[in-house]
Amino acid sequence: MTTYVEAIQKSLVLPLEKVANKVFTQKYNPLYYHGALPNLFLWALFLTGLLLLVYYQATLSTAYASMKYITYQAPFGNAIRSIHRYAADGMMIFVLIHLFRVWFTDRYREYRIIPWISGIVLFTVLFLVGLTGYMLIWDQDAVALTNVTINLLRSFPVIGTGLAGFMLATDLSGSSLITDYTITRMLVLHLGIPLLMMFLLWWHYLRITRPVTDAPLALVLMMVGGLLLVAGAAPVVLGDMAPPDFAVVAKSIHLDGLYAWPQQLALAGWNMGVIWLMVLAVPVGLFVLPYLQKKALRGQFARVVADNCTGCSLCYNDCPYEAITMVDRNDGSRFKRLATVNPEHCANCGLCVGACAFKAIDIPRCESKDVLAEIEAALAGQSLASA
Amino acid sequence: MMATETLSVNAAPPAEALPPIRLIGLVCERSVELEDRLNADGRLLDDPSVKIILVPCSGIIQPLMMETSLKNGAQGCFATGCRIGDCHYREGNKFLQERLLGQRMPKLKPTVDKRRIEAYWLSAVEYDEFRELIESFQSTVSSIPAS
Repeated sequence: MTTYVEAIQKSLVLPLEKVANKVFTQKYNPLYYHGALPNLFLWALFLTGLLLLVYYQATLSTAYASMKYITYQAPFGNAIRSIHRYAADGMMIFVLIHLFRVWFTDRYREYRIIPWISGIVLFTVLFLVGLTGYMLIWDQDAVALTNVTINLLRSFPVIGTGLAGFMLATDLSGSSLITDYTITRMLVLHLGIPLLMMFLLWWHYLRITRPVTDAPLALVLMMVGGLLLVAGAAPVVLGDMAPPDFAVVAKSIHLDGLYAWPQQLALAGWNMGVIWLMVLAVPVGLFVLPYLQKKALRGQFARVVADNCTGCSLCYNDCPYEAITMVDRNDGSRFKRLATVNPEHCANCGLCVGACAFKAIDIPRCESKDVLAEIEAALAGQSLASA
Repeated sequence: MMATETLSVNAAPPAEALPPIRLIGLVCERSVELEDRLNADGRLLDDPSVKIILVPCSGIIQPLMMETSLKNGAQGCFATGCRIGDCHYREGNKFLQERLLGQRMPKLKPTVDKRRIEAYWLSAVEYDEFRELIESFQSTVSSIPAS
C-alpha cells in the first residue's frame, strides 16, 4: 500500500535530490539545508532592513521622497534595497521548498506535529511581513497594493472594517481610506512581526534536540553570491509617485507574485469572497493535512529495561526528539539514574537502541536481540565455509 | 572426511543451490529500496550470498551487530542508511557513521578488521549504485588473505 506521499517522494523528491547531489555534492546539497536556508535569508533581511531604516521616513508626505533618496542617492542604497527585496523572495522560495519537502518526505505529523503547526504560523506571518514591506515603498504600485489590501480587509464579513482600521489605520467612518497613520502602522507590522518570528522559531524548534539552524559556510557563500548577482543584474527601481488622492489606475500595476497574489487576483476582478476563501484555505488546509493520514506508529514507543540501564545518558544525549529524560532512581539499584521515555515525544526510530551498549532500551518493532539472533541464525553452520 | 561428503550429497538437493552467506547487510528500510529484491530468507535476489536485515533506521544499528556478523563467520558486514543530511529521523545515519569511525559511543571495537566493515549512504531510488558498491565490497573481502 503506497500513499500519495510515498509516490511523490520516490518519483519526484528523491530523483531531484540525486541530481542536486551530483551538482552540489552530498555535503553542500541545498535541499539538505532546506530549513537552515530560510534562516540565512532572515539574517540578510534583518541586516539590510536595519540599514534601510536609517533613511526611511514613515510619513505620508515624505515616504516616497525618502525611498527615492535610498534608491538613487544614498551610498549603496540601491544595492541594500535590492538585496532586501530579493532576500525576501529567496526566503519565501526556500520556505516553500522546506514546506513541500517535509510534506512529501512524510516528516510533518505525529511526533513532528509541533514543528508543523508552528511552521504554518511562521509561514502566515512571513506573508504579512512581505506584504507590508511592499506597501512601505509607497510608489504607485505600493499605493495600489495598499488600496486593494484595504478593500480586501474591508470585504471580510462582520469584522472587516475594524480589521482594516486596526491593521492599516483606515478611518472607521469609511470616508477616507489612507490616513496619516497608515504608513506608521505598516512599519510597526513590518518590524514587529519579525520580532514575533523569533519567538515562533523557538516554538518551531521546541521538540528538536539539535535543529539545523545554519547551512555550512560554502553554501552560505554560494547563496549570498547568488543574491548579490541577482541584485546586481536586476537592481530595484522606484515607480512613479502616486497621485495626491491615492487613486492609482489599476492597469499599470506590477505586484510580487509570491507575496501579493491575492491582491493580483483582486485587481484582475475576482470576487473578494472567493479570494478570502483561497487565502484562508492555505493555513487551514495545511493544518488539516497531518490528520488526513492514518497514524503509522499508534501506541508504539521505546521501552527501557530498568535492570540493564546504567544511567549512562548515551540514549538521552542522542535522542533527536527530546523524548528521553534521566530521572533519579531509588529502586535499590546501584546506579543513580534511569532513562525514561516520554511516549508523546517518541518517534519509535531506534536511535536510542544504537546508542545503548547495555541492551537496556528497545523499540517493539525491531528489538536488538532479534537482529542479533537473525545474524547468528543466518550464519549458523557455515562459519568454516566462508574462510 | 568420507562421512561429510556422503552427508552433503544426501541433504535435500534443490534447496542447497544457494551459495553460503558471505556478506551481512543491515539496511535502513527508508534508504535503498530492497523490499521486492529479497527472497524469503532475506537474501538479495541479484546476489544470494548477501543476507539483508532491514531495520527502521540506520541509527538503530549497534556496532555490536556488525562485530557479531564477523565473529559468526561472515566475510564482511555493511550498513546502509539514507544520504547523510537526509535521515528521516534526523541524525541516525550521522550517528552510525561516527560510531564506525570511533567518534561516538558506543564505538566499533578497535580490534575489528576495518576492511570487512563498510557503510553506504543511499536514497531509496539508488539501487544501481547499491549493486556496484556491494560488488566492489565482495571483491575487497575475497581478496583479503585468510589469517
